[in-house]
Amino acid sequence: MTTVLDILSTTLAALLREDPRRLLLGEDCRDGGMLGLSRAALDDPELEGRVLGTPLTPASAVAHAGGLALAGRRPIIALPSAAALLEGLAALRELARGGQLAAGHGEHATGDVLLLAPTGYGFGLGGDHAASFESTLALAGARVIALGDTSEAAALLRAAADLDAHSGPVVLLLPRSLLLETVDPDALYESLPRELHAARPVRGGADAVATVFCWGDTVARAIAAAERTGFDVAVVDVASLAPLDTPALIRAARETGKLVIAHSGAPRHGVAAELAALFADEAILYLDAPIVRVAGARELRYPAEADACPSVHAIADAITRVVTY
Amino acid sequence: MPFLTCAQPQVIDGGPTRDSLTPLGPVDTTASPRREGVSPCLGHPRVTGEVPHAMEATPWDPDDVELRLDADGRLTDEAEPAAGQREHSTNASSLDLRALYKAMVRARCLDLALARLGLPMWAPSAGEEAVTVACGTLAAPEEWIFPGSRDIAVSLTRGADLDDLFVQLLGLRRAGPPGTAGAPDRRVAQVPETLGLHLPLAAGHAHAEKLAGSRRATVALLGEGLCSTGYYREALSLAVACDLPLVLVCKSQVWPDGAPMEAGVFGDGVSVRARSMGLWSRRVDGADPIAVAQAVERALTRARQGHGPALVEAVVTQMLHKDAPAHRDPIERLRRHLDHTGVWTATFQDVIEAEIRGHISRAQERAQERAQERGHELGELEGGRDA
Repeated sequence: MTTVLDILSTTLAALLREDPRRLLLGEDCRDGGMLGLSRAALDDPELEGRVLGTPLTPASAVAHAGGLALAGRRPIIALPSAAALLEGLAALRELARGGQLAAGHGEHATGDVLLLAPTGYGFGLGGDHAASFESTLALAGARVIALGDTSEAAALLRAAADLDAHSGPVVLLLPRSLLLETVDPDALYESLPRELHAARPVRGGADAVATVFCWGDTVARAIAAAERTGFDVAVVDVASLAPLDTPALIRAARETGKLVIAHSGAPRHGVAAELAALFADEAILYLDAPIVRVAGARELRYPAEADACPSVHAIADAITRVVTY
Repeated sequence: MPFLTCAQPQVIDGGPTRDSLTPLGPVDTTASPRREGVSPCLGHPRVTGEVPHAMEATPWDPDDVELRLDADGRLTDEAEPAAGQREHSTNASSLDLRALYKAMVRARCLDLALARLGLPMWAPSAGEEAVTVACGTLAAPEEWIFPGSRDIAVSLTRGADLDDLFVQLLGLRRAGPPGTAGAPDRRVAQVPETLGLHLPLAAGHAHAEKLAGSRRATVALLGEGLCSTGYYREALSLAVACDLPLVLVCKSQVWPDGAPMEAGVFGDGVSVRARSMGLWSRRVDGADPIAVAQAVERALTRARQGHGPALVEAVVTQMLHKDAPAHRDPIERLRRHLDHTGVWTATFQDVIEAEIRGHISRAQERAQERAQERGHELGELEGGRDA
């Protein structure tokens, strides 16, 4: 057994070996990085020159990576936290618009960077350290992917790092609560069994009476909640928060017509609201109950880290509410 | 010194005078240079009288700057060969001053043409040509330049297609902020819409050059106002920490009454502070094209040789200050020099201007025709998005 962090570290080293254009950057990267993500790469003397320690430059880290990409590199930035991207938002937005900055820059596009961002609760940090910023990042125009299943850790990182397959910056959100879990290396997916932008059906089938949409650290909670209710409940890991896999999500919504959206982070102005609007637009005739959203607290206060995500109980209540509506 | 301190250019010996804001025509040597709209550049009178070298500095002249051309356009080394300056002041002759002058005049003509376009949020860059032209000329063709929002002269100097520049300037193809036009085929980056973002972008690019062992420098231009931003500080941090071949060229404006605090030139000035952060830095007079070129050249050479990042601060006087003395104009100063050495003639000036103005007006007309075909005029509100 090994931890998800070790899996990611090993995969990063492999990714660097496979493509000499790739670089791993971040503060402390020369010491393994804040999470130890560069440790495996540092063990390989051949990767010596491509694991780069950079000073703490929150506003500029994304643009710096963009400049490297412009010159044909494939930078992977190990961020201390998704919150670190808030200062780099302007750069993220600029890179996401790709066409303009990268216009005519030959075969390279400045937007092709991968950002690894630990997010949410899990390290006992509490307060804003446990916050979830995916909605803000999605708004900036970046591709935002959330790890929702530890057995996909290596495969999802691989797919996200395949910057030739998709243009623009990719933010891979790594829920902290999943990073410390242990996994059986033999149970890992070697490659992603779906497209990077695809939603992931987790549970449920043709007879499901309700559907829970969730992502990141909430996926495991949604599964537990579904089991607890005793109903036949479908669970869909949205996985790609931007862009959304709209056809698959609409299909899943239409199948049951009773929808719960569960996620960590604040309840308002986010991806969940976007999903609810999407279902109101595209599945209104199939809906048999109001769309119910369950989320974390609007405001996080140290040390109440548990407020960051909805409880299994809250999700189960929401499921029961829509099923018995 | 009445000539150098005068508020408006004066005719000495009745030399040729041109009003650059009017279309090119026969030179009217009798017209009064004091009339409204006389450009502080290009329209400067030809100086033929003897002007002493030991001139008092005007409030427009910066302190603590390296100088190769004095206000009268004479090489300071010839007048006063200071021992300490000799080692790095040798190359005035290696610069193609004639070409440098032509490029600066072309840049000014483009700036004057853009001034008439009424672009929103556009700011003139007259007076900054020594910097933009030095960067555009001295960076090797394969070296990337990341200009700021007032540095379109870089694209022009690098030989960018004027038609393409105007297509971008008129918004027919979205580029950066108004008045900017990148030329990626000439290794001139687009200007990001976020102010100052080009600095960390350039740092990243320089980082890639270093990793590739290319022995190429990456150049970024900025105005002193950016020096208070996080992007600037962080770009410097990256450049020093990673020892990047990054050459930053800062245009610091000079204010005769002292810089306002919001201008970002606090304390000892940009170059001193950059040096304290660990960069090689030089402060030169932006009105002296030779000093600017030599400092930029040295910074580039260092960076290419792996000696790390550099910052050149050029103290410029924007020509939008109508009361700035003529010698603060880098074009006029180099013109005086070329005049002394017999290179500059009125015909030489006419030929450069006629050529570039013709190119500019044709490119502008073609772009405007295309804009009309598309049905939206510059300055008009485009309709909302059709769902």
